[in-house]
Amino acid sequence: MSRIVIVGTKTRLEDAVNALYCEKAIHVIDHTTGDDGLSIGTSLEKTSKASERLLKVRALEKELGINKHTTTADISVEDVQSRINAGDVEGVEDEVLKTVDARNDLTQKITELNSKQKILELLKNLNDITLDQYSGYKSIAVLAGTVTGDASSLKIDDAEIFSSYDKKTGGVAVVFVKKENRDQAYAALAGIGFVELHIPVYTTKVAAADEYQRIAAEIEAAAAEIELCDKALEEMKERYKSFLKGSDEELSIAVEKGSVPLRIAVSEYSYIIDAWVPTKKVDSVKANLEQKLGDDVYVEFEETRGRNLEESEAQEPRFQNVPVKQNNGRIVCEYEYATSLVSVPKYQEIDPTFLIAIFLPLFFGFMVGDMGYAIPFIILGAYGLKKTKHPDWRAIALVLFFGGIWAFIFGLFFYGEMLGMHFVGGEYEAGVWEWHHDHVAVGGTSVTWDWIFGAKFPEWFNHMICSAGTWDSATGTWTGGETGIGKLVNVALLLKLSVYVGIVHLFIGILCGVYNIVKQHGGKAAFMEKGGLVFTFFGMILFCLALTQAMFGGEIGDIAKGTPLILLVVAIVCLVVGIALNAKAEGGMQAIMGIPEVIGWILSYTRLAAITMSKAGMALAFNYIVFGMIIATRTTAGGEVVFDPFANVIMLVVGIFLFCFLHLVVWTLGILSAGLHALRLQFVELMMRFYEGGGESFAPLQEVRTKTFFSKNTNNIKEV
Amino acid sequence: MAAAEAAGMIAIGAGLAVGLAGLGSGIAEKDIGAAAVGAITENPSLFGRAMIFTVLPETIVIFGLVIAIMAIFVM
Repeated sequence: MSRIVIVGTKTRLEDAVNALYCEKAIHVIDHTTGDDGLSIGTSLEKTSKASERLLKVRALEKELGINKHTTTADISVEDVQSRINAGDVEGVEDEVLKTVDARNDLTQKITELNSKQKILELLKNLNDITLDQYSGYKSIAVLAGTVTGDASSLKIDDAEIFSSYDKKTGGVAVVFVKKENRDQAYAALAGIGFVELHIPVYTTKVAAADEYQRIAAEIEAAAAEIELCDKALEEMKERYKSFLKGSDEELSIAVEKGSVPLRIAVSEYSYIIDAWVPTKKVDSVKANLEQKLGDDVYVEFEETRGRNLEESEAQEPRFQNVPVKQNNGRIVCEYEYATSLVSVPKYQEIDPTFLIAIFLPLFFGFMVGDMGYAIPFIILGAYGLKKTKHPDWRAIALVLFFGGIWAFIFGLFFYGEMLGMHFVGGEYEAGVWEWHHDHVAVGGTSVTWDWIFGAKFPEWFNHMICSAGTWDSATGTWTGGETGIGKLVNVALLLKLSVYVGIVHLFIGILCGVYNIVKQHGGKAAFMEKGGLVFTFFGMILFCLALTQAMFGGEIGDIAKGTPLILLVVAIVCLVVGIALNAKAEGGMQAIMGIPEVIGWILSYTRLAAITMSKAGMALAFNYIVFGMIIATRTTAGGEVVFDPFANVIMLVVGIFLFCFLHLVVWTLGILSAGLHALRLQFVELMMRFYEGGGESFAPLQEVRTKTFFSKNTNNIKEV
Repeated sequence: MAAAEAAGMIAIGAGLAVGLAGLGSGIAEKDIGAAAVGAITENPSLFGRAMIFTVLPETIVIFGLVIAIMAIFVM
């Protein structure tokens, strides 16, 4: 990254901002007011109008139900700009709001009519009274309301009671009573749960039932009108959605551009912009700006920042942090999301994305290690990568796709396995191929595909798959081991392999750490800070190697002779040097704590074998249930157990259904356990060896357009 | 008989190794997990770091598992 300063006259600030946006390579450093006599600028002239319009557009989008999921046709920038300038936003607003207001009025009207209708529905049960009779008396009070009991038997002086009552739906009662007796009437009615209704005043003679019909018709008419309004709005949405989304984007860009001066320094007549530019682009940025703005701009190159930390720390605070532009290839850059889950890398350190891109799918594939699970992983991953845009889903799809490819490779060539079953059930014994035919009979521990098919795979296929046996060069075959590494058989091999993978992975991490310190502080500092770790790491590995060689190779006393002794001596020397260096760098206590830590890191990788085994164990149990207990088998005269599914078709169907379901369980758990543990090994074991993070992403000024496009091939960006 | 007894004891030992180590991991992860979920709710960008802290004690159960595997397959 290089730092530049752009100075120009304030009269052409707007052109300058447009020119900066064209470059897509200028990361503006926010100005902080100090004692340099400069102040922060004010937003561009047209910004307030643009933000006002943007508010209107957003409100309209909400009103019409246009959201980010609405698909619209793209629209040209020139078109959007000319329509906005011609006042189309205001025009659309008028049109839409008119209809929306009309709809709101109608909704209000329907609510009122509904409450009226509710009253009339009750009153229409009292056939003897017309609506005008409920009001207009001088000395008579009318008490009308709902009741929960029968009102006809009430005793009220000087009153006439009309009522209708139904046990299920309740009832209605109207009492015409002398005004003086009103309280008495209320008291009597209170006993049957009276709730008073406010009946509208009618002057013409009309029956409640007729009025009820009239209001129902009125409601229907209003509903029809609302429907028309909705249709009109729907039609407006179709007509304007493209324009509204286009102008939302265009106005957002205008507002963003207009607020750039708030981030830069201005004096009375000029502006000053400090910015970071990728070193490669400094010359082109300078040339382009000078070409566009002529004599009204002066661009000065300040510095190209190195990776040395002291160099950065010597700068003014606002120039100390350099933005980071991660520079990865097309596929690797997809993993940047995984790195960013922890943090954006600092300018002075290695970007771990590349290592994650290699090891994350590799570990995932190793742990799944099954061709049958790999194929759906690959399909799902490829589909996800093609369809999804959301970074979370893309990251998952990416791991599934590449992890699936590794799982396929490991499943076919290393484990020789599909859906928890080996392809080949047999092995070479002294150069002679021996088939296993009685595994199910023996206890169902290993159902194999060739047993299911009842046919042997060709020789070349058997040769393709690894074996835990020894290679016999005379016959060109593996001897004394099954074809394919057994996840639950060759456990020691898998454990050892995991540990070796761990050592390599950790060492890469430690090397990255050393490299970072060399770049930041120089070789001597790196040796003092990380040298101790390197020595302790190798010392501890050699020490454990000597110990295991002696322990598993014979007696513990063997450690004092031969190779174990040499290893032990080298290990102790390394450990002493390591502890001495660490003690100097971090203190004595830390140095001693550092030793068992190394073992912890390495043993943590045995999870690779552990997850592999756990899934194989589940698959084994499920396969045994399906093939050993449900789907029919038959024993031949020779004592061989043969797969005979059609002997019982119902059990075959049940078996197939169960087989699919149970393996789906293993497959789903595979995503969770293998995916999370593979990620953990990157985040914790690898990245904690060297990664600090906390950098700032390179965010150049640029227009992000997804809905609008430039119809003419031009670099001129006009202002709204 | 003695061999069968020894195998049984090994199996019990292996079970205890994994089980107790798992319990330890669980207890350790419980508090970190609760705090991590709280932190992520406040600020989703902390997910990566929260996950790192949450899975740190997981290594304990792996140690138990290694001992169990060695007990069963190596001894």
